[in-house]
Order: sequence, then structure tokens, then C-alpha cells
Amino acid sequence: MTWWHALIEAGAVPAAYKPPPSAGASGRDEAEGIGPADLVEDAELETHAVPRAAAIPPAVSFLNGIERWSVVAYDGVAQIVNAYVAAAVCRRDDRGVLRATFERSRAFAVAPIDRLSPTLRPLLEQAAPDIEPIDDELVDQPARYLERVESTVRRARAHLERELAEAATAALGADEWLVLDGLLSRSPAVARHPRALGVIKSHGAQFLEGRGLERALTLAAGNRTSVFAVRGGHTRTEVYSWYLRLWSWEGNDLLYGLLRVEARADRETVSRASEVSGWLWAERAPLATPATRWDRLLYPLHHVEEYLKARAPRSPAVRSRLPVA
Amino acid sequence: MIDTAIPSAIGRVVATELKPATPHQFHFWTPTETSIGIGAIVKVGGARSGEQGAERIVYGVVTEGFAYSDLATPLHDVVGAEGDPTRADAAPTARQQIRYWTAAVLRQTPEEPLQPVPLGQVYLADDADVAQALRMDAFLYSATPTAIPVGLYTSAGRDSPVYLDADFLLGPEAAHLNISGVSGLATKTSAVEFLLASIFAHFPAHKGRVAAVCFNVKGPDLCFLDQPGDLSDEDRHRYERLGVPSTPFQQVRLYAPLKADGVNLNTLRTHPDLVDDVEPLTWGLQEVVDYAEVLLNRDDIDAKADAFIDFLRDRVLARTFDDGFGTTHRVQTFADLDRFFRSIFDGLEITAGGRSDTWRTHHIATMRKVRNRLLNISTRCKGLVTDDGPSSDLPWNEFKDRTVYVIDIANVDPLGQDLVFARVVSMLREQLERRELGVDAVVVFVDELNKYAPGDGPDTYVKKMLLDISERGRYLGLVLFGAEQFRSQVHRRVVGNAGTQLFGRMDMDELATPGYQVLTPATKSKLATLPIGELMVRHPHFTQPIFIRFPKPPVLRGRDGVERFPPAADVPFEDAVVRQLVRLDRRVRPNQVKDLIADREQDDVRRALAAVRRTRPDDVLAYFRKVLGARVDSDATRPREHQAVPPLNPISDEPY
Repeated sequence: MTWWHALIEAGAVPAAYKPPPSAGASGRDEAEGIGPADLVEDAELETHAVPRAAAIPPAVSFLNGIERWSVVAYDGVAQIVNAYVAAAVCRRDDRGVLRATFERSRAFAVAPIDRLSPTLRPLLEQAAPDIEPIDDELVDQPARYLERVESTVRRARAHLERELAEAATAALGADEWLVLDGLLSRSPAVARHPRALGVIKSHGAQFLEGRGLERALTLAAGNRTSVFAVRGGHTRTEVYSWYLRLWSWEGNDLLYGLLRVEARADRETVSRASEVSGWLWAERAPLATPATRWDRLLYPLHHVEEYLKARAPRSPAVRSRLPVA
Repeated sequence: MIDTAIPSAIGRVVATELKPATPHQFHFWTPTETSIGIGAIVKVGGARSGEQGAERIVYGVVTEGFAYSDLATPLHDVVGAEGDPTRADAAPTARQQIRYWTAAVLRQTPEEPLQPVPLGQVYLADDADVAQALRMDAFLYSATPTAIPVGLYTSAGRDSPVYLDADFLLGPEAAHLNISGVSGLATKTSAVEFLLASIFAHFPAHKGRVAAVCFNVKGPDLCFLDQPGDLSDEDRHRYERLGVPSTPFQQVRLYAPLKADGVNLNTLRTHPDLVDDVEPLTWGLQEVVDYAEVLLNRDDIDAKADAFIDFLRDRVLARTFDDGFGTTHRVQTFADLDRFFRSIFDGLEITAGGRSDTWRTHHIATMRKVRNRLLNISTRCKGLVTDDGPSSDLPWNEFKDRTVYVIDIANVDPLGQDLVFARVVSMLREQLERRELGVDAVVVFVDELNKYAPGDGPDTYVKKMLLDISERGRYLGLVLFGAEQFRSQVHRRVVGNAGTQLFGRMDMDELATPGYQVLTPATKSKLATLPIGELMVRHPHFTQPIFIRFPKPPVLRGRDGVERFPPAADVPFEDAVVRQLVRLDRRVRPNQVKDLIADREQDDVRRALAAVRRTRPDDVLAYFRKVLGARVDSDATRPREHQAVPPLNPISDEPY
């Protein structure tokens, strides 16, 4: 019996509600604070064609994470949430096969502990192995409460990914690279690693403006921008970054096939930017379909995500076979 | 040796709403690189402890395999490679892919209640598992085992012996074996040869004695069963594993008719080193008339012909008979029979003035038809059918245990082949019924069932006989091992009554026929590409077809035998007579024989020779001299009694 069933037996109202992702979720990577971009390559932002036959590192590990949450019970209007976050690192061998090398997960409850009834609170504290408390001031505003839940879960996932990234970079071989989905700058240790890359698919924040922005957003497929320095994440760690277009945007939208790459703030990054871009360009195949954002999702990162999904416990909302009103 | 190592799982059962596990079928996945394939036997070791079905063990055989990746549509691969197939392999990451297998359940323990296969770990079957899966434990480990090795289960790198149950192969529970496959892959004949060796080695003592009768109907296929063949170390290991001696048959009796000259053997085993082991097979009128129905085609079969043949059999043959026209006959040979017919026809024409066309209620047309059929066989099968009575035949009443009797009729006229087959099988049946044959069970191997028991075409005597063996032989111990190229074109009751069925490499057109609908496309594909030495087996104890490998037979293959022992050219008449007499008595001096038969009629010599063969005297030469009689001057003008069937004076337009 799950912990929320214990609550339901004690009087909580059962629920199976998985809110749709909020509009801000897609821009989570960029929403953690940004600084202005300083060009570290070229006098103004230029475009560079990436080499078509770039060398691909023999060993690369890929890190990605997932999050799942849903409302599983109500205590009055207080929404009690079951959440699950997980992250994994898969290493690609010389035959191109990905195998998991690191994996962590966390299943926890999200609840306004102080607003729970005297009956349910001790029961929750006893039954749930891991509780992430949430401010009770938003309980009476269910929509905003759920936004807070979402950011709480996302933060838990980010924390997990950061821990795993630090562990993975510490274990990297001499020629091995780590590519992670999202900001490199979350962890100073990871951000300073010479063979760690962050690949950002969402472009909620703009680091450029004017002509530079226009050049970045209208990059032709197979081109990259000049390298610029950004300062992001809670740690405000400086990293170097550039945009790379994997697939032609004409006929789609400006962000179609557009990646932003982060690497450590070092001159070597500038000198390697084209080579690394050529490598990432080669990662276009195989396509990461059927993911909706396959145009900018690298297949190995997609694979890690599918791996985590396959190993995740089934969502209570999915488990219900009854029609949802 | 029993492998006691703890096996590791090679897969796991998965079930979805669309593809659930059932009591008869389940699905499982394995790593991309796996040793299993179509035909592999696997064991599902039960679900995790505490889960439903944890105590249940299920054995299955892989019947279908699938591989696919997470590619949503082929178009995505085209897009990823930008339309260039050569770039498709350049992708740095291999797509996630699956090896997904379907297995048919062979057995569940416990067998009741019959439940869906649990979603447990999948293991490769070891020797003990194979025995359990194929329900061989019941007849392999019983107090009176009846297991006959048929080959090795070799999937997934194993070599586990597979056994047939003698009670279901040789009766009485079920019987008969049918083997089909395309020609030229040395599978059908080789498989039967190996299986006979296995039967001889493992036929249980409590079931009595067993022998085999093989009809050699093409080339030298079965002519060298007593000669050792070349075996590889791998084959010897397989023999060892199966407990079958890798030596040729110890007791082989080979029979072949004579050629038209009446002295040379009509077989490819005429090499001087081997020809002495070949017994002549020659029959006389009595043997032919007893099976006269064989000689009549469907148009001939009518009550009138039957009645006249019965009349001949009951009233004329080997009796003193007055034909009513003033001649007394004692018909013992074809020449006598010809004289008998001529006397009647002449009598009807001359004595009755051609006014009567019936004799003893038999119409002259019927008599002409029967006469032509009977006398034609002595012409068409001269050498098999002789004028000289039953000179040499199979050792009826004295069949020996574990002995193969090969009857080489490869070069005999098809009608003669039918006659040989019909008579031999009939004799076997009669003697088995009376328990007088000398053995308790006889395996009769007949190749080319497409010819002898076709699914369509006329109901010949041979076909009826094969049907009779198929349907009633198991009670008598008369077991049919039949082989053919196209199983679908053999009479369905012949193949349907075969308890055990073997399949070699099959033609895809044949596999498309309804009889193979129960097989999965993968199994059909495997059947269509089976290498030499592999077979698919169906047996009453096996709930699903099983693929096995059998060793090369321990005997010299026909074509190798002909190369190692090239057939000798026909020897002159005198030398052939000498050879036959010397074979019967080593003391006989060739010159003595040649002096004896110099200037003698060859028919007289043949007749004397036949008498010697029949009598087997102690002093062969003396008896031969006595039978041959005093020298009589040859009379070149005297017509030969039986060179061929002379034409009759036509007295009507009858077409016979």
C-alpha cells in the first residue's frame, strides 16, 4: 500500500490529477538568473560554418533527468502531491550502444504540512518516506499552489542532476566527455570541467540583442555563432556559450533546431567551439523521434530520458483506467 | 555429465494487453546478442518469489523472432541520414533495439491447473530440461525404457539427445514414420539409415526382435549398408552422445533380381569383392499369379478378370487340368501358361469353329487380357520373373533379429517394382499375423511415396496396400517408414497415420500448402533453409515440432559406394554361372562348370542353376550336373519356348 492510500483510508479525499505543464516550464533552464553576454570570440557576433567531418570523442556520457508529479489526495483544499524525480548517466561505448553508468531517483511527497489536519499530518509523516514541505500560504490558491509544487519538483530534479553530474565528471576517463541536458552552470565543479558540455533546448532567456540576436536566431543549419560568456544558475558560475543550428528553421520557427551549448569558460573552449559543434551536428542522427522536440533533442539524451521513464513507477494518474472528467 | 552450474537468465517474459501470455504461448525479450534462435527450447523459471506463478515452470520452443528499434517511422531514418544510405551507419549512437521472441509452450509443471505463462526469467534448457519439455522422462526413465535416439537438439550451442518412444514409433500405441524433404540433400535416406541403426541399438528387449526391409528404388542408395562410411570426429561424438554404435549394420542381406540373361545380377553392387553377398531374387508363375491384381490397371479391374484369375489360381495352376479340347495341362511355368492359353484359344477357334467366344463362362476377351498381363510381366521383368519356379526368395519364416533386408529393385520395370513391393509386404503381413516371420516387428522403408501413394491418381494395388499398412500395421508390428519429396501430394491417410514425422529442407511452394499452416513463418523459413543433417521432428509426445541434428549414417553412401566399389561389367554367361555356383560351394572348379555347360541350352543351364539355388545341396557341382541332365545336341531350328510373349492370332478387335 502506498503512503497516500494510508491517507485516503484515514479520510483524505482520493485524487488522480496531473496538471498540464505550466507555460513557464519550458523555459526553466533559463529562468534561474542570467547575466549579459560578453563576446569572447570575434568582435561582433558572427556565424561560423561547422565542420562536417568533425571527430566524435570515442567515449561520451550523457546525463538527463525526468520529473513526475500528481495530486493524489486532498485534505480539505490542501493538495497532497506524489512526486518522483530521477536522473541517469548513460555511457556510449565504441559500438554506439548506450549503457547506464549512474542513476539516482527520489520519490517524495509534497504537502503543506502545517495546513494538514491533526489526523492526517502524523499519518503522512509516518507513512511517507520523504516529504518536501511547501509553504501553506498558497493552499487557498490552488492554481498558484500547483505552480509552486511544480517549481519545487523541478528544483529537486535539478539538485539530483547536479549531484549526478558532479559524480559523473569525477569519474570521467581521460578522453571521455559528459554531455548533459540543460545548464552546465548549475554546478561550479561541472562548469569548470574541460570535457563537460551543457546542451540547452529552451530559449526562454535571451543573452543577445540587436544584430547579434538576429544573427543567432536566423542561423543557417550547420552554423554556429561566435562564443560568448554568460553567467547563470544559482552559483553565477561563468561559462562560455554559443548557438548551434541543427536543422533549417525556414518553414518552421526561429527556434527550430536551435541549441545553445555551454562549456567551461576557457580559451580552449573558443578554439574548440567549431570542432565541438561539428560533433554535435553529427549527433543529429539518429533522430530523437517521437519526442516532440526532436529537432533539438540529441538522441542519446532522449535515450536516457526513455530509460528513466521505463524505470519510473507508474503514475497514479496513468494507473487509473476510469475516464477522467 | 549433468551440468550443475547455476544457469543465468537469457531473457524475461513480457506480456502486454495486445500480446498477453497465454497457457500455450508467451513472449520474451533477450539481449541483442543472444545464442537462441528459432527452434531453441527455453524454460521459464517462474516469477519472482511471492508473485503469482512463482512455483510454475514452463518449457517452450521458440517459434518466432522479431527485432525492431525505437524508430517511429522509416521516414525518420531517411531524414536522419539525409537521404544517403551510406550515412545511416555513421550515426554515433546505435538506436535502442530489441530481440523479441515468441515461444510455444511445450509443457507446464504442474500441468493442472493450466494457466497463462508467468512473467518470469527465461533460461536456456539443459539436457534434463529438454527431457522434461519433450515429455521424454516418461519413457526414458521408466522401468522398461522405450527410448530410441533420433538426434541431438543443438540449438543455442547445446547437444541434448532427443528420443522417440518405441511404443509410438514401432507400435502398438502409434507407429510409422514419414519423412519429407527436397531431393539431393542427403537427408531422407540418411535419416532413415541412422534411425534404423538407432532402433537396432536401442529397441527394448521386452518388445522382442526387430528387422527392417528396405526397398532400394533409385541408384545405389541402399546397396552398401554393410560397408563403413567416412565419419568426422564431430559425427563420432554425436554417436557417442546418442549411445548408438558408429559402425555399419552388422547383418545385411541384399537381394536383387537377375538381368534378362538370367545369370547376372541387376544391381549396382556387382563389384567382385561384394557381389557374393547379393542374393538373386527370382520368382515364378505362382508368385506372380498370387499378386496378379498388381499387374492390372484400373481399367482392367473388373469382376470378370478377378473371377478368371481366381479360376486359374484355384483350378489350373500346379494342378492337372483338362482344357476340354483334348489337352491336359499342368501349368507350373509361364511357358506352361502360354501353352495353356494357346490351347484354349486354338480350341475355341478350331474346335468350335470360331462360333463361341466363351470358355468355361469366361469371355475370350477377358482371358486375352489376363493372358497378356501375366505373360507381359515375364517379358518386362525377365530376370525377376522366370520360367523356372521360385528359385530364390526372401527367407520367409526365418527373419533374423536386427537384420536389414535390402531389396534392390532400382533397375526393375515399374510394374515389376509394384509386384515386388506388393508381394513382399503381403508376405510380411501374413507372416506377422501368424507370428511366423521370425521377428516381432518389421520396419518397411519405402522411398518415393509420391509415386507409390499419391494423393490423387488411380487407386493402385500398391497404394491400397500402403494404406492398409498405415492403418492397421501397428497392431501387427508392420511399420512403414515412408519418404517423399512433397508431403502434400502423398495420400493424406498415409501421412496422417504416421505417428512420427520428419521434415528436411522443404520447398517454399510445398510449405505454402495447407498442411503447413500450423507452422509460423519463421519456422517455415528455417525449414526452407535447413542444412544437411538437420530435421524437424513431430512425435506424439512432443507438443510442438522440434529441430534436431542427426549424425551422418555409419554406412557407405550409395554414390560413395559406387566410387569405392565400381560395379563390374556383366560377365559372360559361363562365367556368371561359375560365379553363382562357386558362391554356393567354394570347392567348385570353374573349368568343370564350363565343360559341363559347353554347348548346352542357356535355358537349361538357367533352370539347373535355379534348382541348385533352390535346393542348396551339399555337393553343388554334383547336383548341378544331375539337374542339368545328359548332354543333348542343340537344335538350332527348335523354337525357343519363352523368348517373349508371341503374338496371338487376332480373332476379334479386342484391344488387349
